[in-house]
Parts: sequence; structure tokens; C-alpha cells
Amino acid sequence: MKDKYILKKDHLLPLLRKLKKKHRLIAPLQNLHGDTLFTEIDQLDNVRLDLANQPQNSLKRFFFPQQEVLFTYRNPTSDSYRFETAAEERPPSLYFGVRPCDLSAVLYMDVVFSKNARDPHYLHRRQNTILVGLNCNAPFANCFCNATRNGPFIDFGFDLQLTDLGDRFLVEFDRSQGQEIIREWQQFFAAADETDVKAQYQAFLEARGRFSQQVHLDLAARRLADDQVPESVWQDLSMRCQDCGGCAYICPTCTCFTIRDRQTGDHEGERIRSWDACTFSGFTRMAGDHNPVDRQMRGIEKRFRHKLQFDMEKDNRPSCVGCGRCVNICFGGTDIVLFIKMTCGENP
Amino acid sequence: MAGLATTFGSGAMTNSINEIENAQVMLVIGSNTSEAHPQVARRIFAAMDRGARLIVVDPRRTLMAKRADIHLALRPGTDIPLLNAMMRIILDDNLADDLFIEMRTENFYGLRDMLFRIDLDETARITGVELAGIRAAARLYGRAQKAVICYCLGITQHVCGTGNVQAIANLAMLTGNVEKEDTGVDPLRGQNNVQGACDMGALPNVFPSYQQVDIDDFREKFERAWHVPLPSQPGLTLMEMTHGGKDGPLKAMFIMGENPMLSDPVIARVRETLDNLEFLLVADIFLTETAARAHVVLPAASFAEKTGTFTNSERRVQMVRRVIPPLGQSRTDADIIMELSGRLGYAMDYESPAEIMEEIAMLAPIYGGMQHDRLENSWGLQWPCWDRSHPGTPFLHKYYFTRGKGRFVPAEYKPPDELPDDDYPFLLITGRIYHQYHTGTMTRRSAQLCREAGEALLQLHPEDGRRLGVRSGDLVRMRSRRGEVQVKAQLTDAVQAGEVYTTFHFSEMPINLLTSSARDHFSQCPEYKICAVHLAKV
Repeated sequence: MKDKYILKKDHLLPLLRKLKKKHRLIAPLQNLHGDTLFTEIDQLDNVRLDLANQPQNSLKRFFFPQQEVLFTYRNPTSDSYRFETAAEERPPSLYFGVRPCDLSAVLYMDVVFSKNARDPHYLHRRQNTILVGLNCNAPFANCFCNATRNGPFIDFGFDLQLTDLGDRFLVEFDRSQGQEIIREWQQFFAAADETDVKAQYQAFLEARGRFSQQVHLDLAARRLADDQVPESVWQDLSMRCQDCGGCAYICPTCTCFTIRDRQTGDHEGERIRSWDACTFSGFTRMAGDHNPVDRQMRGIEKRFRHKLQFDMEKDNRPSCVGCGRCVNICFGGTDIVLFIKMTCGENP
Repeated sequence: MAGLATTFGSGAMTNSINEIENAQVMLVIGSNTSEAHPQVARRIFAAMDRGARLIVVDPRRTLMAKRADIHLALRPGTDIPLLNAMMRIILDDNLADDLFIEMRTENFYGLRDMLFRIDLDETARITGVELAGIRAAARLYGRAQKAVICYCLGITQHVCGTGNVQAIANLAMLTGNVEKEDTGVDPLRGQNNVQGACDMGALPNVFPSYQQVDIDDFREKFERAWHVPLPSQPGLTLMEMTHGGKDGPLKAMFIMGENPMLSDPVIARVRETLDNLEFLLVADIFLTETAARAHVVLPAASFAEKTGTFTNSERRVQMVRRVIPPLGQSRTDADIIMELSGRLGYAMDYESPAEIMEEIAMLAPIYGGMQHDRLENSWGLQWPCWDRSHPGTPFLHKYYFTRGKGRFVPAEYKPPDELPDDDYPFLLITGRIYHQYHTGTMTRRSAQLCREAGEALLQLHPEDGRRLGVRSGDLVRMRSRRGEVQVKAQLTDAVQAGEVYTTFHFSEMPINLLTSSARDHFSQCPEYKICAVHLAKV
């Protein structure tokens, strides 16, 4: 078949070893405590690559760190300032084993950080990256990317995309960098035949039937657009929200940040950007302690409206990618799945 | 501790936290749960989703109170009359659990006789709560098959703290609401490991696992293990140590991870005490207000830099693992203690925290089966866990109370030590807020948390604000018989008229300059919750 290839599973590690020579390699690794996280690989032989579990983190922090120094400043005399931007070295990076949700999230962040104003810090980290995706044959317990329509399989946005067919991966490319890899390391790739493509389609069909979360995201989005969300839903969820910000921090598409200056010496300091969350009251509080958002009554409203209404109006797609991480992390039980269900009139 | 020890025989949460989800009625008293114990509040809300009813007893209208089916806004310090009245109503309505009382408790008649002397109208007058409300709460709690009482520092930080706890225990035993799953009495601990500190004998009168120092068998057991003679008399309580003043009983102190210069009442007295020591040694992760007064400060390692265990409210012992090596010159607490001990002539050479845990398991029976290998890769074990085959104990007092039979200890009303008068007309309550932790040693270093709540606010009722000419944001001068601070006012009807509320997290506004050192006779816990203050606009 044209443009579809087969990579034997036995040859995955040897291929990664080749790719690692030119690239910083980031992949889901299981650590000593059994947690799977996207981690930069130092030594390929001493790590446990884990493609069976969902990584607990997304790729967000690799492009948009939780905290970063935008620039440092010095004012040795009272009337002069000198600014310095520390540009970190960025070797070409390859992200391996990226699920469709996380891939979609990166594509979403690309828009956020380049559409209206180009964000040099994000773009600097984002350039020279290769995304090697992995379709999801078996969605995880809290996944609902079928409802957000960016999974469990994806057919654009990646450099290379793998589908697990048992003893082998079916490999596709969407961008020239991916094509380049296949050309450069052609000894690893064989042309796929019709059976392989059929097997991929079968895997896709089966994956679609394996979601345990059943949410009607479209209906919730419509109710939001029509302003039909009962007042009690906002109140009920807002009162439970424990204000930890975990949902926003773990979310692969939450990109709000705050900026502050920190003095590091008598005549020097740094400007820092760090993640923020719209559920915090400090996010909207103004001078004189006036706050247009009553946290106990409407604290979580902005979060769900942004994801399911405002971005829908702008780009005709939600900015929730259905990864389900916020469902896992929420202390209070105010996650987006519960919101969608309550909005659709279902009992939680 | 003292209250539950005398009634049940064990001073800890009788339930597991997740059992609260299955309760039918929850009585939350003296606990601002959603701010101070959000993980517990979450279970309470989950129980309400399943139809459970919530009773909140709190002078303030907290978020919990707003969500409650019944909120009894009592006058601070009147918990005992309120609880006694509930018990009297339960007796009158024939809702007491006679079988449970007969089989599992003693001294019921002592309680009953006291309850029959109660004048309910008098109770309504003392507590400021209408009798109808108390009656509704009593009937709701008394009728429940599975009821849980959660209490916190609003109960214990009073001169009658032990009595408060005994009254709670009486109420639970009277209705048979203990000794079962999803049913019990749950003191919520204020810190991640305060239960563990108590378990390990960081109390004046016990060795690890609550083995009294003045009982020869226990003492000899530890002497055999440690090869040194050990004192047979209980040591000093916290307040005796930090409030001794110039002629205090101590010449030297070693303070670890505690900041009494902000957290203890009557700070002026603490300062006097510490400054008169011949030697003060402080180990902490930052230079706290207390460390700043020390002769020697040892930099300690944070949670992320050490391996060991923490024991939480529900008696669960969980492992914490080192993620990064100690930064700079800092050392772990265990390292510091071992090094100090060695230099003082007593070698402690434990090769790892696991070896220390092995010794704990040998000497502390309730930790008997808790070695690191059993705690790794799990959510931990709940004590008592007697041996390596024991699965841990989700709820206490199954079959019988720890002390044998539960004992009714009648508690009678003891008014607060210092009530408002003409000179100091307001009643000050102190407490905590969500975004700051204790003296802010860690949380005040987070810009994000400080943006959420970066300064102390004094909650003041709008009526009082009007009378004083104070608006939200105005500075108020607040003084008590012991000290004075300035604090920004926040008008809110969450507090009742005549009462004000603020927090102790902020060193710029050390509220404990004002609080009183009056304390409970048994537990020696100071009455942080009540003192009289005078307010004036700055």
C-alpha cells in the first residue's frame, strides 16, 4: 500500500537507538514506583518504555513549562536597566508514543501560541520537534476522545503515526520530517499490504467500541451555546471545587499563565511566567478586592465555557481533547465529564 | 486525645476517611472542613449526593454551614450545653440505643442523672441557639443507623476541650454510633503527621504506641532496647516549655519543624522564654521567626528529600520517598538526630529509615506489622496492625472498645476563660484558611498561594462595621489584654455580630500576641478559639 509501512516490534528499540543519535528522545517511561510519565531518555537500555498505560503527564510542560524565566534584568544604577534573555540550547527533539489526545493538544497549543501573537518562548521549544504518535487500540478508563472527535485514531498532525497490530506497527506519515525518517532508515520499514491496512481498520472499529465513559459532549456544547445550563449545575460544581488547580495543571490544553517579577538581588531580578488556572479567585480578582466571579457560586464556569463554548465558537471544535486526566486528578469531583453529564440532565 | 482516651481508650479517628461517604447523618462540629480538610469535605459532599444529611455546629456561617441541612450557630464555647441538650432530647424521645449502652458501656447512670438535671430553655439561652434547631439536630442524629461525628480544633482549643470531646463521645455512645463501619467519632488532625508524632511518643507521658513512661513494664522494655535508663516521670507539656518565662524550667531547647514564635499563644511570653534559654537549637527548612532567635540553626530537609512514613488522621501509615537528595547543607531529621546523638556520646547508627521502622515495629505494638516492604507500593496500613499477617484496621473498637467498655464521662459546662466585657467588647475566634498552612513557613513562599490569600483579614459583621465606621479594606487596630495588632477588615455576615475571626498564618499580623494562654486542664491545649478584644478604626 502506498505510504503505509510496517515496522516490526522487534525493531522498535533498534530504530529508537538510531533516532536518538540525532535527537533528544522523549517517551512514556515507567519509573521505579510504577508511574508512567513522558520522560527524556538518557540511556535507552536502562529504561522501561511503557506503551500500555496512559502517561500521567501530557507534552504541555515540554513546550510550555510550569515555570520559566522569560528574562533577567539588572539595574546597577537607578536610571538604567539591562535585560537579558537566556536562550537555552534546543537540540532537535523527538517525542515518541504520543497518543491522539496529546497530539491534538499540541496542535491546539500551536494555535494559541502563534495565531494572534507569536510567543517566542513556546515556538523556540516547539521548533525542531518530531512527533511520533501511537493510535489508541484500547482507550483508558476515563478517556472520551471519541466525544471530542480527536481519537482514538488520528490521521493528521503527526510526523509519524504508529498503530499497534500485535507483533508489528503500521506506520504512516503526515509531514515531511516523518517521510524523511522512513527514507533515511528504510531498512526498518517494509511496505504494508492490504491485510495490514484491514487489520488497522479493524483495530480502529474495535477501539471505538471500548470507551467506558459515555458522554454527549455535543449536546452539552449546544446547551452551553443556548444558555440552557441550569444554574444549579454551576453552583453545585463550584461549591465542591477545592481550588487546587489540578485540572488546569494536568490539562494538556490549559494554557493560561501569570507573570510576575522576582527580585534576585539588590539590583537584579527576573521575570517569571508560570501556569495559572481560571478556577483560582486571584485569576479574576481586581484592585480593591472586587471580584466579578463569586468563586463559591461560579468558580468553575469559565473553565467549562472556555473549553466547550468559546473555543467552539472560535474554531468550531472544543478545546478539550478527552484525555480524561482531569477526571482522575480532581479532588472534589467537579471534572468535565461530570459537568457534561449534569448538563445533559443525567444523574452523576 | 485526653477526651477520647478516657471514654474510648484510643485518641484517634475511629473510622477511615472514605467510610464517611456511606454515613447517613454527619455531625460536623468545630470544623471548617472544606477549608481545613478538603479531602474529608469531599467525602461529606459525596455522602450528601447519596442522600445523607448534614448537621453543622459552628458559630460562623462557613461553606459547610451553608450546605448543611441544619446549621446551629452557637455562641463560641457553648458546645457542652448544646451536646448535653441533644442527649437529653434523645433520652426524652427514647432514641437512645439501650442494648449498646448495656453491652458496651459503663457509667451510663452518671450521664443520665446529669442530663436529667438540664433545663433545655436554659441551654437555648446559653448557646444562643433556638431549641427547635437543637431538637431537630438531636432527632436527625439520634434516628440515624449510621452517623459520623467529625470534629476539629473548634472543639479542642478551648479551656473545656477535653470536656467537649467527652460530650461528643457520650453522644455517640448514647446512640450506639461507634464500633461499626461507616459510624463513629472522627477527630480531624491538623497536620499530615501529627497522628504519627503522637503515635511515636512525642507527648510528655508516653513512649511510642502510647505506652506510659510511669508503668515499669513499658519503661523496662525500652530500656532493654536502648541500653539506657529512661525517666519514669512524664515530661513537660508544650505550654510549660514555651511559656516558662525568665525562670522557666528549661535551660536549653531543641525545636524541630515548629514555629512557636507565631503559633503559640501570648507570643510575648514565648519570646521571653526563648530569649532566656542558655541554648536554643532550631532545625527547620527555612529560617522561621523561631529559628531567627536560635543560637544554632540546622538546615533540615523537606519531604521531597527524605524517605520514611507519615501517619494521617485515619491512622494510615504511608511511605514518603526521597525524590531529590537534600539541597545544600541540609540533612534529614533522622540524620540530624543521629549525628547529634552520636556527638553527645550515644551512637545511633541506623543504616536506613527501613531499619528504624523495623525497630518501631518491634517496640510499638500498634505498628507491629508495619515494615517498609509492606508499605511500599500500597496505600499504606492503618493501625492497629499487630503483626506481619495483619491487614490493618479500617475502623476502631470492633467487638469492644480499646479500654474495654466505653465510659460515659459526663461533661458539664465550663464558660470560656475570657469573655467580652465593656473594655474588650468583641469575641475573637482564630483559625485557618485554605491557601496557607500554619505559620506559612512553606506556603508563604509560593507566589501563587499568596496571590490567592496573601494577607490576614479580620472578618467583621457589617453591623459592627457600621457602628465602628469600618469598611472592607480599612485597617483596624485590635487589642486584647496581652497585645495589639493592626489588621485589614473584611465585612461579612459569615460571622455573627459581636464576634470577629482571623487567621494566625501571617507574621506581619501575629494574632497570637492577643490570644490567651488559658488552657484545658487535662490536655494543656490553649484556648485559641476565644479571647476578648477591642477594635478601633486606624
